[in-house]
Amino acid sequence: MSESGPSGRPTQALHPDDRHDQRAHSALPYFVVWIALVFFTALTYLTGKQHLGTWALAIALIIACTKSTLVALIFMHLKDSSGTTRLVFVTSLIFVALLLFFTVSDVATRFRPATPAGAPFGTERSQPEGLLEHELPE
Amino acid sequence: MRLSEADSHALAGATAAPNYLHDGTTVMSWLNTRDHKRVGVMFLVSVIFFFLIGGIFALLLRFKLLEPGPFFVDAIGYNRLFTLHGIVMIFLFLIPSIPSAFGNFVLPLMLGARDVAFPRLNLASFYLYLAGAVLAIWAMVHGGTDTGWTFYTPYSSTTATQVFPVLLAVFIIGFSSILTGLNFIVTVHTLRAPGLNWMKLPLFVWGIYGTSVIQILATPVLSITVLVVAVERVGGFGLFDPARGGDPVLFQHMFWFYSHPAVYIMILPAMGVISETVCAFSRKNPFGYKAIAMSSLGIAFVGFFTWGHHMFVAGQSTFNAGAFGILSMFVGVFTAIKVFNWVGTMYRGAISFKTPFAYICGFLYFLVFGGMTGVALATTSLDIHWHDTYFVVAHFHFIMVGASVMGFLAALHYWFPKMFGKMYPEGWGLVAASLIILGFNATFIPQFLLGNFGMPRRYYQYPEHFQALHVASTAGATLLGFGFLIIFIYLVIALKWGSPSESNPWRSKGFEWLTASPPPTHNFDEIPTITQMPHDYRTHEPPGVIRVS
Amino acid sequence: MSHDVAGLPPGILAHHFSSLSRQNEAMRLGMWLFLATEVLLFAGLFTGYSVYRFQFPEAFAECSRHLELTLGTVNTLVLITSSLTVALAIHYARTDRRRAAAICLVITLLFALAFLGIKAVEYAEHFHERSLPGKYYAYEAVKIPGAAMFFSVYFLMTGLHGLHVIAGMSVLSWILRRTLQGRYSSKYYTGLELGGLYWHLVDLVWIFLYPLLYLI
Repeated sequence: MSESGPSGRPTQALHPDDRHDQRAHSALPYFVVWIALVFFTALTYLTGKQHLGTWALAIALIIACTKSTLVALIFMHLKDSSGTTRLVFVTSLIFVALLLFFTVSDVATRFRPATPAGAPFGTERSQPEGLLEHELPE
Repeated sequence: MRLSEADSHALAGATAAPNYLHDGTTVMSWLNTRDHKRVGVMFLVSVIFFFLIGGIFALLLRFKLLEPGPFFVDAIGYNRLFTLHGIVMIFLFLIPSIPSAFGNFVLPLMLGARDVAFPRLNLASFYLYLAGAVLAIWAMVHGGTDTGWTFYTPYSSTTATQVFPVLLAVFIIGFSSILTGLNFIVTVHTLRAPGLNWMKLPLFVWGIYGTSVIQILATPVLSITVLVVAVERVGGFGLFDPARGGDPVLFQHMFWFYSHPAVYIMILPAMGVISETVCAFSRKNPFGYKAIAMSSLGIAFVGFFTWGHHMFVAGQSTFNAGAFGILSMFVGVFTAIKVFNWVGTMYRGAISFKTPFAYICGFLYFLVFGGMTGVALATTSLDIHWHDTYFVVAHFHFIMVGASVMGFLAALHYWFPKMFGKMYPEGWGLVAASLIILGFNATFIPQFLLGNFGMPRRYYQYPEHFQALHVASTAGATLLGFGFLIIFIYLVIALKWGSPSESNPWRSKGFEWLTASPPPTHNFDEIPTITQMPHDYRTHEPPGVIRVS
Repeated sequence: MSHDVAGLPPGILAHHFSSLSRQNEAMRLGMWLFLATEVLLFAGLFTGYSVYRFQFPEAFAECSRHLELTLGTVNTLVLITSSLTVALAIHYARTDRRRAAAICLVITLLFALAFLGIKAVEYAEHFHERSLPGKYYAYEAVKIPGAAMFFSVYFLMTGLHGLHVIAGMSVLSWILRRTLQGRYSSKYYTGLELGGLYWHLVDLVWIFLYPLLYLI
């Protein structure tokens, strides 16, 4: 019985995912990434506590994306994976962005009186007296 | 590598090995099967059963609508009827229909594979579907829901009907849909026969692949949406409740993010079927193979950019309304490309006017007509008047029934001999097709008129001057029902008492016809090496023989 | 029989795959597709979060400051380290060090348990101070419109994440069992890899939840 191998490729060539078996596998990259992740966690903790206003969200997301990229590439072996698996992951992120974009753009561009009290363009808060913690004078 | 002797023998009609139907005849051998063909048949029987249930709901609500005032059911009862009609037809019939029934059966055969990538997961998909279906039936028996299949909040989070079990059923069936899509994508990537590269894939495979991509990306968002509404009902979290700062329009965004691409889950497989059958029954190569293949992917992706056109009057911002209106126009381009190519394929072909071809004709007419009304509805300024009227109802029925169901029926008749080794009665096939096409027009063209005159959808009572059109629509629905009934009857008769068919009665060049009809359990004795283009009718081989390697 | 089946426990290679290499490719692709669906599942909740943070910025900021930042940060470090240990488990399995792999999986499970324990402590505190979702909200310290919405979003997101931690623990337990049975080696460790992938996803989601909930 002549079962043919994978189409278009000689049977001896290994799939990208299996190729790295040929060399001795080192655990060092995992430890390096772990240290980087701990570092970035500390960074996001410190920058988060600064309450930097409009930049806070952007910085937090950039750090989170960096951490995720490290986890995905090294821990989850996306670096060594086939193009298809990488495309799958990236595509899911693109569609998350799509969902977020149109829903947030909706609330961001709505007719102002349609937003609830306390929203960026809305009316005064329902609790006019008293200051919030971060508004207290130092 | 030529076809093995066993396979050639089998092709000639003299089956040596037991076919998949006879390989194990106990109930357990079916319930515990790993065979994609058996899973496909079980799905087929189930979706047909639920089509009948959903059809009965339709006939009941059309019966009520014969009279403008209270009649036959009360208002809440009517709300439940149209809700259950929608839920059953969409989640229990349309979404799984062609992919889970025919995709399961035919996809591995078209790829020259022995099974799908994950056979046990495939069986799990079926059982998840059944579990969701049983839960939905339980909910129906206990009164069902009255929210409409769209479950808009805050009504769906507060109404005292069986929303919770129905949402749970939808969640479970969604999981089934995801696993089917996952299985098919991996199968197409990893189980293609030697020589079968992407640009040689049969067009049905491209349709199924596009569908599977949508299932993976869209269904989880529906899952989380129904989950949150279920939690709302139980826990009062207020995520969509205006009294607690929630936004009902957010529900609509999340719901339609799935439900718009869902309509492409319903139409892409049907388009794939039409691509296959147009070539087979015109005995001609596809006019533009790449165009049809790539437009399947185009629809799959661009379909995600358009969901806000369901929400033009819901309260979303004018920026969004404008953006979605324009983006919705683009998706029609891909459908137009396909229609152009199908017609180009038929032109100067050797047309064989069998039942599948009758459904192709119906499909093309309904797709173009319904599609154009879709483009009209995407125009924000027009939709303001048409939204929530019968115009919308007629539009989507033209596509979902007129096009999708015609595609399903074409597949059913085209692959009936492949799946069961029997032939349906051709005369009756054409009679039923005519009744269905006629009945469909009689049902839904009056609804376009009703909508244009201002009749709102989901209304229990209506002004007297709309009665004539409603009566016409109900009469059409009855004719339509007869057509489906006739099909059901002659197919059951053919199954039991029909004459055996040849292995390839259509002389089709599809790869699935390379093996016997019905196929043996393991599909192929030897995996063929594919060197020819799909749907290649230029070759001068004697009919019935497909050159392999 | 293809040569790469030699030396494997029976039943690894399915009959419909032409080679183990193909099957591994299929399993990985299948798992990544499933992870894509999980990403989109959480995306729905991130959407709700985004909309309501946009509409109630003060309430979200104020409520965030009343969360236990220390516990949240510790939990982040716990999950990051558990990702390391599961990656190490795979490393040891593919270098034929079965015992080390099993030990790493046990440590991962312990970290997972620790995560749930810390989360339980936080939840208990919320129940105690009545910082609860929707209609149950009665938190004295924050009385701004939208505060209840913050906690609705918080409980939905951390709740769904917690369910995935539990699911991840079942997956880890299953592959631990398989590891102890000797199923994984340098010749085949794909099942272990797939379980690890699922666990990493749980970590990935938390990497975003932490700053978005605790550090507004």
